[in-house]
Amino acid sequence: MFTKIITFLIFFAVVGCILYGRKLIKTEKVDAVFGNPERAKGGIHWVIVGSSFILLTWLYYSWDIAKAFYPKAANELCQVGKVNDSLLSLKYLFPIEERQFKSTFVIKSENKNIDKLAKEIENTTSLKNQDKNKLLKLIVKTKNTIPLLTNEKLLENENKIKIKELTNKITLLTKKFQKTSYPEETAEEESKRIEEAVKEGEWGASGTAVEQTIEIPIIPKTKKGLKFDAAAKELKIISDEFFKLRNHNPKYKNAMKEIKDEIKQYRSELDETREVASALAKDILKVARRIEYASIFPPKTLDDMQKSLIEFDNVQKKEQGTLRFVDVFLFPSGTIVSSGPSCSEQGSGRWLPKPSDTLNKFVLLLKPSVGFKNIPLIWFEMMDVSKIIGFILPDWLADIIPGKYPVHSQDGSVKPNFKSKVLNIVTGEFKLFKIPIPMGHIWDSFLRVFLGLVLGIIVGVPLGLFMGLNRFAKGFFDPLIELYRPVPPLAWAPLVISVLGIDNVGKVFLLFMVSLSIMIISARAGASGTQLSKIHASHSLGASRWQILRYVIFPNSLPEILTGVRVAIGMCWGTLVAAEFLAGTTGIGFVENVAKKYFQYEVIWITIFVMGMLGLLFDITLRKIIDKTIPWRGKG
Amino acid sequence: MKKIISFLLGAIVAFNLSVSVANAAANEVRVAFFLEWPTPNQEDKVKKLFDKALGVPVKWTNFANGGAMTDAMLAGDIDISYSQGLVPFINAVKSKAPLKLVDIAMEYGMGGTTCVTSNASGITKANASELEGKKVAVPLGTMAEYVFDESMKVVGADRGKMDVIQMDPEEGAAALVSGDVVMACLFGGNSIKAAVAVGSRLLTVQEARDAGILGIDITSVTDKFMKENPGMLRTFIEVTHEANARYAAGKSDMNVIAKDAEMKVGDMKETIGGFKFLTPAETKQSMESGNLAGFLKGMDTPNGAVDTSFLPN
Repeated sequence: MFTKIITFLIFFAVVGCILYGRKLIKTEKVDAVFGNPERAKGGIHWVIVGSSFILLTWLYYSWDIAKAFYPKAANELCQVGKVNDSLLSLKYLFPIEERQFKSTFVIKSENKNIDKLAKEIENTTSLKNQDKNKLLKLIVKTKNTIPLLTNEKLLENENKIKIKELTNKITLLTKKFQKTSYPEETAEEESKRIEEAVKEGEWGASGTAVEQTIEIPIIPKTKKGLKFDAAAKELKIISDEFFKLRNHNPKYKNAMKEIKDEIKQYRSELDETREVASALAKDILKVARRIEYASIFPPKTLDDMQKSLIEFDNVQKKEQGTLRFVDVFLFPSGTIVSSGPSCSEQGSGRWLPKPSDTLNKFVLLLKPSVGFKNIPLIWFEMMDVSKIIGFILPDWLADIIPGKYPVHSQDGSVKPNFKSKVLNIVTGEFKLFKIPIPMGHIWDSFLRVFLGLVLGIIVGVPLGLFMGLNRFAKGFFDPLIELYRPVPPLAWAPLVISVLGIDNVGKVFLLFMVSLSIMIISARAGASGTQLSKIHASHSLGASRWQILRYVIFPNSLPEILTGVRVAIGMCWGTLVAAEFLAGTTGIGFVENVAKKYFQYEVIWITIFVMGMLGLLFDITLRKIIDKTIPWRGKG
Repeated sequence: MKKIISFLLGAIVAFNLSVSVANAAANEVRVAFFLEWPTPNQEDKVKKLFDKALGVPVKWTNFANGGAMTDAMLAGDIDISYSQGLVPFINAVKSKAPLKLVDIAMEYGMGGTTCVTSNASGITKANASELEGKKVAVPLGTMAEYVFDESMKVVGADRGKMDVIQMDPEEGAAALVSGDVVMACLFGGNSIKAAVAVGSRLLTVQEARDAGILGIDITSVTDKFMKENPGMLRTFIEVTHEANARYAAGKSDMNVIAKDAEMKVGDMKETIGGFKFLTPAETKQSMESGNLAGFLKGMDTPNGAVDTSFLPN
């Protein structure tokens, strides 16, 4: 329901905005020539069209529109898929979707293989002439088995009858299929089926659990679906019966047996020195066996069957009615496919989850009790302030206090003394009051990016300024920085685990590497870009070195630095996912990596959106900071 | 404006039609396999015997893990995955991928997939409950995760209390060496070698076998290929079983296999020695009511993912 409304809203928004845009062009003053930036100003309506277009594409290609407007379509298409599945093997025998008969193709390719083998035998110099002759004779014999299969006169009566029988069965089914009463179902059976179908659930119920559950219900829910379901069952039996048929007439059987025996005997006679001949003989046997196994029939034998199949195919397509159009237009680039006991979405609907499902799953994952791998996406936990104190105070404070740590006494108790009490405090082993601390995958990722960025700024900005102002610093650090700057941060990744371990240190280090070089470059550019006249002016006003740095150079380079920060944030997010792929128990990248292994496409998309949103949030915050703190930007 | 619209419409139509085109009369067969995972049929692979037996060229592509094999099969780039791990296959089938299990490539003890505890941690089978609260590296969603779960049941440690870190085998081995984790579960000859250098197996190969922990690698195939070319599939499996029989008879060319697996002959022999290649009859038994059937049931695999009809008689 929700998706329906959204779809309509988007559709009307797009149409409305386009109309508005065209009207605007007409009413606008025409004095803005091409190249005038005025022409790019405004245009909220095009923003709406742009974002609506993305949403619409998503809704369309994830087949969510199909689900909203034709919720039964998936179940019905599943039944159609069953029919196609049953027909598939039979269809491949005929030039229905192929260019030629399977028999023709097999004969053509086997003839080629036989010729190739014959050539190989002739060209093998290590073969004795007698072997060669023998093998070539075997090859001719093998080749001669093909006409035995394709000769209509040799076709056994029994097989003829059977083929006719199967053809009749298909024709009968075609006739039955067109009737509205097919298949006959008692009221009792019907109520039972409907009850089971209801129990099975609706299309796309996988949105309600983190793990994959039922995707497409397979029990036919509608009358139309039931029809296809019943036909699929009958066709499967027909198909199975057909493939049990072997066009092996007595003459062929004899010829084949002869070849087999001859090769067997020949190979047993060969000693170790003539292994090549033995291997070649085996190859010949393989070709012969391939021909034996392929369903080769005389050219005209299966004509009736082909006709009946095509007829059935046409009828079933006609019976699909509107469903066909739904399939073509609302299930773009793929469709519902039946395979064995289940139906599934194959095509874009498979890897592009529906917005509605994704939203459901996102809400589910956001629940702190569910989360991903028992860790919430973002939540808080109560942490005692003592832990923070313990983290800040170094442990060695307790060690340097004179005296010894308590030893257990004879009666088995341990009496704390002053030294051990201090140890408790510096390690945070005491109770104070609790404060809420954020936690979860999103928070962890956020913290890593934040730490990497802040460290990069703290180290990079002073260093960059220094390099921009000092000959020694420039000369000393330049080769170092320039050497490491072009290295993609992920190039460090293989080393990180070995050197820095698997904890946050390694991941933050990677992000630090990313932000550092950007910050150095931007700070340096900012410092060296300060106008000399300003520095001269401050000098003549009697400013000290520190004052010049603090009040002239730093404010001047701030715009460059903050732009650098914006760039660095983007790069950090880009690196974060890969860093969390390495080794992890938390983080958005970890979630995506694990979801990939279990083919949880919804979760993968959720992580992508979360990352996009967080990146956007960072950027917007920074833009606000830039506007607030450096109003002089672009005016110096 | 008109140009833009017509371009967009054209793009949409092109994308909608990009449904994989039927490839029924296969002109080549595309097979996925693993490096460092030696199997007897690699001799046939090198000597192009598969190409001869199937009558069409066979293209082999190596993969890093079974999940990637599934991805490639779904994208229509691979027809047959040889020696795919059972766990990635089950994950794929659970997510409704149209794949079928048609043969068992091999069963193996913990020789090929195992958990190694570091010597520095002092943890062995006897005090394995000490693993609780510590960090362990496990490649999630692979056979190694299954071996990890089962081993923990055997030694009586609670997985829920451990800090399980997702790590691929090479990284898991590195983390074990650097002391970041006390135990790493891994697969692949070189990774296990690196890990065993600083630690020891939690369960020996024999202990694991006694406890019924075994890995199963399978041959999986796309539904489409199975339906289109049943003959080729049958021949592929037949040639593989012939190679297995040749290996069992001691007639395999170990140098060729080692070279193709990109391993040293000695290491290769050790690895392949830990594999058990089943005969067709054993395979059928395992698939219908034996180890494989039990495994699938234990992992709540949907029915109908197994097809025994392609096994040679």
